[in-house]
Amino acid sequence: MTHSMSLERRFWQRLRIVLLIVFGLAILLPIAYVVLVSLTPDTEVGGGSIFPTHIAWDNYRLMWSTVHLAHDIGNSVLISGCTGVLATLVALLASYVLSRFRFRGRKPFMVSLITMQTIPQVMMLLPLFVILVIIQNALRVHLVGQYVTIIVTYLTFALPFACWLLLSYMANIPIELEEAAQMDGCTRWQVLTRIVLPLILPGMVVTFVFSFLLGWSDVLFASVLTTPSTQTVAVGLQSYIATGESGGSVFWGQLMAASLTSGIPVVVIFLFFQKFIIGGLANGAVKG
Amino acid sequence: MVDQSNVSISAQSISVRRDRRKRNRPPYWMIAPAVFLLAVIVAAPFLVSIYTSFTSLNQYSIGNWLHAPFVGLKNYISAFTQGSAIGASALQSLWVSVAFSLLTTLCITPIGIVAALLVNTPFRGRSWVRALFLIPYVMPVFVNAITWRLLFMNGWGLVDKVLAWLHLASVNTFWLIGPNSFWAMVIADVWSSWPFIYLMVLAGLQGIPNDLYESAYMDGATQVRCFFSITLPSLRPILSLALLLSTLNHFNNFTLPFIMFGTPPSPQADVLPLNVYVTSFQTFNFGLGAAMSLITLVLMMIPAYFYIRMLRLGEATT
Repeated sequence: MTHSMSLERRFWQRLRIVLLIVFGLAILLPIAYVVLVSLTPDTEVGGGSIFPTHIAWDNYRLMWSTVHLAHDIGNSVLISGCTGVLATLVALLASYVLSRFRFRGRKPFMVSLITMQTIPQVMMLLPLFVILVIIQNALRVHLVGQYVTIIVTYLTFALPFACWLLLSYMANIPIELEEAAQMDGCTRWQVLTRIVLPLILPGMVVTFVFSFLLGWSDVLFASVLTTPSTQTVAVGLQSYIATGESGGSVFWGQLMAASLTSGIPVVVIFLFFQKFIIGGLANGAVKG
Repeated sequence: MVDQSNVSISAQSISVRRDRRKRNRPPYWMIAPAVFLLAVIVAAPFLVSIYTSFTSLNQYSIGNWLHAPFVGLKNYISAFTQGSAIGASALQSLWVSVAFSLLTTLCITPIGIVAALLVNTPFRGRSWVRALFLIPYVMPVFVNAITWRLLFMNGWGLVDKVLAWLHLASVNTFWLIGPNSFWAMVIADVWSSWPFIYLMVLAGLQGIPNDLYESAYMDGATQVRCFFSITLPSLRPILSLALLLSTLNHFNNFTLPFIMFGTPPSPQADVLPLNVYVTSFQTFNFGLGAAMSLITLVLMMIPAYFYIRMLRLGEATT
């Protein structure tokens, strides 16, 4: 009995090691290949050998001038940052009311919050674009390509998401503290700023990070609603590929270097917040 | 909650309650910004979308949109028959999308469960493995799409090279155009989305009490038996939520095929969101695009309905 158990245990241990290696390779091989190509000179990409004859650090230097990478990253930071701040603040107020009060229209509102997260984004983009163009034509103003426009349209998916995420954090804050503060004569606003705010701050940070990253990863809205001067890095990288589609040669090395540059910071942020992610996901967070 | 309010109430406590209720009138101004914003940026566009779907609005008539010809159900009919001028019909896209979302969900579920079980019990270096497992998921989708576009490049991409080296396929197996593009999309998506199931299962595993396993172990149950009799049944609620969300997300996935294939993609990989995009913003047939997106929405309401029911909004406090 004991012998067979230890045999069985050893089998599972071996299996685990084998599976861990398989998983590790499956995850790391594509990434390693991207790193490799990002260091390959453009003349050698697509050649016979996988490995370059020499390491081309130049790709990491040239990528800043081939496309306006720094400018695009700046746009991404600005747009995603504003989206994150706005979504978090508006959602803080809304989720507080939703979690602490029962009122008519509460349930329909919450159902619509979820429904909005399941709506295909392309379905929102079309009427938003039509409305923007109509307003532009009527008032002779420029809306498409403005920072404000893209930030507000990002709220269509960031705000329902932020509300939902903050609701789950609100539910974990004991209501007794607030009741005590009210007994002592605090107004509703004072309760929110002095009691709830310090407790919900970690949740707000996570909500901001998630909303920020939603904006950072968006391609759909940005590809229609931005112009070259306001385009985000997700759209900017496309111009590398676009040159290939129009018959030119694609600078694969630079493209991979630029992709890594725009992706790695996000990975680092996420891994930094790793332990919060599991909780956030279990609460029904959605990522496309 | 209910039990507490059933406690007998004295006259004094009634007056306290009334006083408290007055103080507890919801501060509607706090929720007003959210309601206003969502009404303007979601509800209003939604209505515009319905109106647009019955007109033949395009880039020429948008300047005088109120007079865009009303065409009734024509857009809906042509969505099912011809679709956009340069892509697949909406009906064909619909099948691609359904197949894509179901197939990927089916593939990532066992992968995610195995991965979660691998790291659930402590071992040296576990936190590193956990971090590693998150990388494909947390990498922005557009980066993953570019990665797989590179890997699937015809003739010199890593996939073709390895397949040719193993004598499994020609080095010129076209992955990004033609019938293979569907499979390229599935593979790339499985690679970048399995950690979602993994994370959900990992969260679910924390909720299973350890003594269940201990008593099963005492009874001499094997690991396999434990998995099918304890782990899997306990995971059922969170797993069904995960499968539903995964299907929804995959159905709405636009970024991955958009960047992997460019526009217009091969009909085999022309998922519905991509088709709507091409119809709306490249052929500028807003009416048809709106009709197609409304068809998508109606379909999405089926899983969304189950999702909302699963969350049990009426009963829970959140």
